[in-house]
Amino acid sequence: MSSRRPRSWQPSSASRITDEQINDLVSKLQAVLPEARIRRSDRVSAAKVLQETCNYIRSLHREVDDLSERLSELLASTESSSAQAAIIRSLLM
Amino acid sequence: MRAVARSDGSHAIWTEASEGFVSEGGRLWFGMAISNAEGESAAKEGGGGRKRKRREEPSLAKWRTQGEQRTYSTKLVEALRRVRRSPPSGATATTDHARSRAVREAADRALAVAARGRTRWSRAILSGRTLKRRIRPSCFRPKPVGSSAAARAAAERGKPATLEKKARVLGRLVPGCRKLSLPTLLEEVSDYIAALEMQVRAMSAIADALSAASSAPAAEPM
Repeated sequence: MSSRRPRSWQPSSASRITDEQINDLVSKLQAVLPEARIRRSDRVSAAKVLQETCNYIRSLHREVDDLSERLSELLASTESSSAQAAIIRSLLM
Repeated sequence: MRAVARSDGSHAIWTEASEGFVSEGGRLWFGMAISNAEGESAAKEGGGGRKRKRREEPSLAKWRTQGEQRTYSTKLVEALRRVRRSPPSGATATTDHARSRAVREAADRALAVAARGRTRWSRAILSGRTLKRRIRPSCFRPKPVGSSAAARAAAERGKPATLEKKARVLGRLVPGCRKLSLPTLLEEVSDYIAALEMQVRAMSAIADALSAASSAPAAEPM
């Protein structure tokens, strides 16, 4: 239970200060996105950044799902424990 | 941008940016990560050799270190072994789907543990996952159809409406972040993205190692 008061959107003039914060955070978020680093434009709107973030997270989720499927198939087919020992060896290499 | 990832020219998704997000050859990130990085912030500075204009938060850099990924991979392998043992090996499609779901949940739980409980999304994952699973499929349907038209209409009305809508969408994607204010939400999101990237790297490496091991049953020289 978050004890934080819901101050997400204040319609008063205080929203101006919040806007600066928002833009600052959005630019930080933009730094994490892959496409933003290629374009390097500072004129990307906050909405676009949020949209790109949503798409990126969804694609990452899809990727993880695909990898889980692949891993589950591999786990089913591989029965020997020596294979897993090989994994650990290769991971710790 | 890491020189290793680029000059190798390997097939990599998002390689321009998430320096190390290489889907094949999980070994590439060995080279870029830095000789003796074990979670140090030096990892992000010494590895590239090129100073980036935007300094990355040290809390995000931890997701890119070799040590973190190794820890995560070890935990994941153990969890996968448990997944393999518990369900009986049936040949039905339902079992396959259930197994991949179990793998996904184990991976997410291991990821949340790796976050050491400092972020909301990790705590939300650890405290319960059933809600997210049920709600997610229904959320996908209205979004792609209505969001673009609604966004265009709202953009004329003013920034906050569009931003709020998209922020809500974003909050639904990240576990446990539905009712957060925008600054907190954005922090959670950036950490979540970095963690997801590490998860994909680690799982790719494991899958590659596993497929290599299974395709060459004789003990291969390492």
